[in-house]
Amino acid sequence: MNKHSKIFFTAILLQLLAITAFSQAEKNDLSLSISYFNSNNHIQYLVAHAKSKIDGKFQMIPNINLSFYIATEDAANLLGKAVTNDKGDALLFIPPTAKDEWKKAAKVSFIIVSQKTKAFDEAKGNVEITKAKIQIDTAADRKITATLMELKDTVWSPVKAIDVKIAIKRMDADLNVAETPTYATDSLGVASADFKRDSLPGDSKGNLTLIAKVEDNDIYGNLSSEKIVPWGKSIKYYTEFDKRTLFARRGKSPLWLELLAYSIVVAVWGVLIYLFGQIKKLKQLGVN
Amino acid sequence: MESLAKQQIIEDLLPQKFGKAGKIWVGILLAFCTLGFIAYVLQLKDGLVVTGMRDYVSWGIYISNFVFFVAISLVGSLITAVLRLTQAKWSTPLTRIAEIIAVSAITFASIIIVVDMGRPDRFYNLFLHGRLQSPIVWDVIVITTYFFVSILLLYFPLLPDMAIMMKHKDVTGMPWLNKMYTFLGSFWKNTAGQIHITEKAINILSITIIPVAFAIHTVTSWLFATTYRPGWDSTNFGAYFISGAFLVGAGAVVVAMFVFRKAYKLENYIKEEHFDKMGKVLVLLALLYLYFNVNEFLVPAFKMKKSEEEHLMGLFTGEFAIVFWFAISTAMLIPIIILIQKKGRRPLPAFIAGLLVVIGSWFKRYLIVTPTLLHPFLPMTDVPEGYKHYFPTWQEWSIALGSLAGALLIITIFARIFPIIPIQETITEIEEHEQA
Repeated sequence: MNKHSKIFFTAILLQLLAITAFSQAEKNDLSLSISYFNSNNHIQYLVAHAKSKIDGKFQMIPNINLSFYIATEDAANLLGKAVTNDKGDALLFIPPTAKDEWKKAAKVSFIIVSQKTKAFDEAKGNVEITKAKIQIDTAADRKITATLMELKDTVWSPVKAIDVKIAIKRMDADLNVAETPTYATDSLGVASADFKRDSLPGDSKGNLTLIAKVEDNDIYGNLSSEKIVPWGKSIKYYTEFDKRTLFARRGKSPLWLELLAYSIVVAVWGVLIYLFGQIKKLKQLGVN
Repeated sequence: MESLAKQQIIEDLLPQKFGKAGKIWVGILLAFCTLGFIAYVLQLKDGLVVTGMRDYVSWGIYISNFVFFVAISLVGSLITAVLRLTQAKWSTPLTRIAEIIAVSAITFASIIIVVDMGRPDRFYNLFLHGRLQSPIVWDVIVITTYFFVSILLLYFPLLPDMAIMMKHKDVTGMPWLNKMYTFLGSFWKNTAGQIHITEKAINILSITIIPVAFAIHTVTSWLFATTYRPGWDSTNFGAYFISGAFLVGAGAVVVAMFVFRKAYKLENYIKEEHFDKMGKVLVLLALLYLYFNVNEFLVPAFKMKKSEEEHLMGLFTGEFAIVFWFAISTAMLIPIIILIQKKGRRPLPAFIAGLLVVIGSWFKRYLIVTPTLLHPFLPMTDVPEGYKHYFPTWQEWSIALGSLAGALLIITIFARIFPIIPIQETITEIEEHEQA
């Protein structure tokens, strides 16, 4: 092989390597994760999250088709399918058809699988949770208790040393009931907090919603329980809708505006009508 | 001797037939009106998409024209009412010119607002279902009122002249015109009772028209000022609009004075003294409007709030800078320089200054309306490129020019049918002067 041939083949080899590298670089790795939620011990759902490191930064990946499975990745264990939104999240409520598989053991695993796309190869994610439940309750002197239980074989047992958030559910976020946001469970699985919020605005009857939460727990996932208590201040909802305002619909203008406007119109047009009358008078004077 | 002088005044001031120049002038105006009408028919057929107006600029030269017409109509109250009530006798030959300008302008202000509507067939809904809280409804009410006040203020002083014209039927040369004079004023016998009623009516109208005139332009300014946008969010707007309106109206009167003086040879009635006095009025109004402009632009420019910056810089040095400085120069600075000198208040220079005021003022209205719409508080994103700029289409130019020609046509036809200078008032004033 002469010198020119060596250079030629080396160039071809480098070209092929570059093409291969480029074609490999075209697809980024898709990272899938899954979280389990149990709301009020009866609404169970899964939230999957898709992200990928693109240009050195993690980005949320929308429009990924995901299949959700329980226990194994078999067609029989398919819970359903969902597509990730702009935030890279996809939500799926666990259907009643999964009841048999759910009851088999105290621990359950969930699997998500994404379809292969032009941008990403197939990816998987999974989570295993231990069945647990949380119960919120109240006692005298505005004491709040949250009891956390886990399923061991077939028996519900208390869970100790787990942080439970006890709070008041508000519109956008949770409000602490006292200075501390979370409380650890004792050997009976009970976390206690004192309600120290006076005159907090509630609904029209003064009701507040208390909430106890276990968040992002590696063993139990996300658990929450709510209870409505009449510990708030009664707030009457007041709306300007359909009242006489400057921004109301036709026929609902403020009285002062109507009075002012119509007075001006009547005064000016009164003068004009009087003057039209004067023209008639001029005609009569001309005839006479 | 007196009757001879009276006869001379009547002969001088009776309406005259169009000469060759007059016919050409009317022909040109009719051509523009026809073009505007054709363009409007096309707009009706295809919708407002034939205009350059889109989502952001929804008020283009139609609304600029509307504001211009409303502004110019204010001159009726200035010359007829303010000068009459302040006993400024020198303004008598100018009152009818001012009033017909007011009537023609307010007529076309009403028309052009309908032209700007995508569905003019729904116009009646403004009366049936209008919200009293909306400045648009106030504008409809006040424009209608001002129109009738102006018509009455034109009609009452015309009555004595109508009787004079009926006596000189031969001069008009058109039977239908004589029939119209008979219909409008045959009852006028110049009796003491009639004169008393007419003078009282004119005085009442002169007082009434001032608040109505202030209302019409203040409400027009509120169409903008009650909307939270850069350039319109101003407490200065009412006074700013009224001062600008008086200026353009006075400018239009000076232009009309010069044209009628030349065309109808009225040098003995519209004298150099009138140009001198109107020149002084004009320079005062130009200075006043300049003062409001300084307030309107210098104060926000001093603060240069982020939301206002793009709008203001667009006017001062950006895409509207040429039009902005042209408008400021022609509507205020150059007329002030011309008219502040005595020789500048002679007929020709005063006419040039008046013309500059009128032209500059039209562009000023355009600058009030359009640039603001191109600078909303939230940036324009994901819109076609055409939405980010505005330039009127030929249909808009044709309709706008057609409306201006229409207003001029009303004035021209009026001057052909009725005396443009009040005959009876001129005779009475000369008689009173001689008796004194």
